[in-house]
Amino acid sequence: MMSFLEVFQYTRQDSAVHNLDPRSKMMLAFTLAVISLLFLNIIPLMIILMAMLPLLAAAKSLRRWARSMKGMSYLLLFIIIFNTLLSTVSNPFSHSIALAIRLLALMTSFSIFFLTVHPDQLAQALIQMRVRFEFAFAMSMAMRYVPTLGQEAYAIMDAQKARGVELDKGNVLKRIRNIVPIIVPLIIVSIRRALSVAESMESRGFGASENRTYMELLRFRRRDWAVLFVSILLLVGSIYTRLFVTLPIWMLFQLPF
Amino acid sequence: MIMIEDVHFAYDGIYTALQGVSLQIEKGECVAIMGTNGAGKTTLVKHMNGLLRPQHGRVIVDGADAKNLSIAELSRIVGLVWQNPDHQLFLDSVRKEIEFGLKNLGFTPEETDAQCTQTLKNLGLEGLAERSPFALSGGERKRVALATVLATEPQVLALDEPTIGQDAQQKELLARMLMDLNDRGRTVIVVTHDIEFVIEHFPRTIAMAEGRIVADGSTSSVLSNEDVLERCSLTLPQLTVAARALHKAFPQVSERLTLLSELEDAVSGILGGTQ
Repeated sequence: MMSFLEVFQYTRQDSAVHNLDPRSKMMLAFTLAVISLLFLNIIPLMIILMAMLPLLAAAKSLRRWARSMKGMSYLLLFIIIFNTLLSTVSNPFSHSIALAIRLLALMTSFSIFFLTVHPDQLAQALIQMRVRFEFAFAMSMAMRYVPTLGQEAYAIMDAQKARGVELDKGNVLKRIRNIVPIIVPLIIVSIRRALSVAESMESRGFGASENRTYMELLRFRRRDWAVLFVSILLLVGSIYTRLFVTLPIWMLFQLPF
Repeated sequence: MIMIEDVHFAYDGIYTALQGVSLQIEKGECVAIMGTNGAGKTTLVKHMNGLLRPQHGRVIVDGADAKNLSIAELSRIVGLVWQNPDHQLFLDSVRKEIEFGLKNLGFTPEETDAQCTQTLKNLGLEGLAERSPFALSGGERKRVALATVLATEPQVLALDEPTIGQDAQQKELLARMLMDLNDRGRTVIVVTHDIEFVIEHFPRTIAMAEGRIVADGSTSSVLSNEDVLERCSLTLPQLTVAARALHKAFPQVSERLTLLSELEDAVSGILGGTQ
């Protein structure tokens, strides 16, 4: 059910993508996401999506990605059906297929970043981009706790199922009501943990010194410059294309209904 | 009462949590399940009320194959008390919290009311009935969580680490309550690392390691087996250590003593019956 979130979870691997500087990957992911948002036709979106697959393969995460996308399939189906039924454009089905591909492409672009950047690296990258340490730390903590929260959610579901809450039965209204016994404990547990983490951080002297130094500093290498350069080029190129170039007819292909 | 036959289970198909577990627990038994972290104890217990379904093998609860019963139906027979009470408490009073499970499992309003009042009394929670569970201490929350399950009067009560975070007095209270339930014919299963708690109150112990049962039998025999203790990374209770030391010096003392009274008898025997 929640398996599609896996694609945003860091996995320890040794790959060319993992070894890139997080800042250049940030730019890459941002570029890919923006490109996915620039176009809303099936062919260009497919091209973008397909172009990301070799990147995932290079990150040795293709299988993980495929599994997550399988978990997403219900949501995608839902999006396609509802958009087709409710949309006012002339080719609603074609339009909703494009929307679904856009969602996939957006998720994939961010997953390339989150799959390959360790929370600590993200924090370090932010700090070196002159974000205040406290904010950077909060950000990396948030990332670090996503899987924990997921496990907690499962434990809570189990506990409530054992008390007779039937999560997968009943009409829509009942199902929505059934979320309450899951959400409330999840929030409470999270707040309790946040408090205890804060206490334990303070007892270990968090924020004691004004000027922090870092043992490991991120350094741009030649390949990072290359990724950054290509990303910017792509970004500028596709914005230019979107604004000033008329796409060839085959690119604007739409399904007949 | 509960029969588990060659059950295999693997989370996400990779990590094998249970590999061929078979056991039988009779009605009215008092059983402790012990083992290292990750031995599959909780996974095993979750099979008993259908939260997990065996990928291979069968689970029979009260004569019926568990696969034909829903979690809610199984939960009326096998009540599970969780390690972390915060995973289930979500209402704004202790009373409502207890009533919630009763209503879900199909008790009538009158039954719900009666059960709730009775359980609050049994657990000494009357004073907290209208309090918010979130404002209670950790130990109290744990008792509320226990109450929510006890109120449904399951025939089998399975508890995951019930003694963690409880002081000696609460532990004693818990033990007495469990024994009381057991006297009234209920089956009690407890998953725990608390070796003293097991020795004092549970006649049968199942030891698990790496998803398998390594020993199943009387608590005294299981917990005096060096090999089992090592595989389950359990440290011997002090009583047993003392008994072994005595056995070395006085061979007539059995090295399998597990109760304080046995040790007392042995010592007074050595001293020539003088008290």
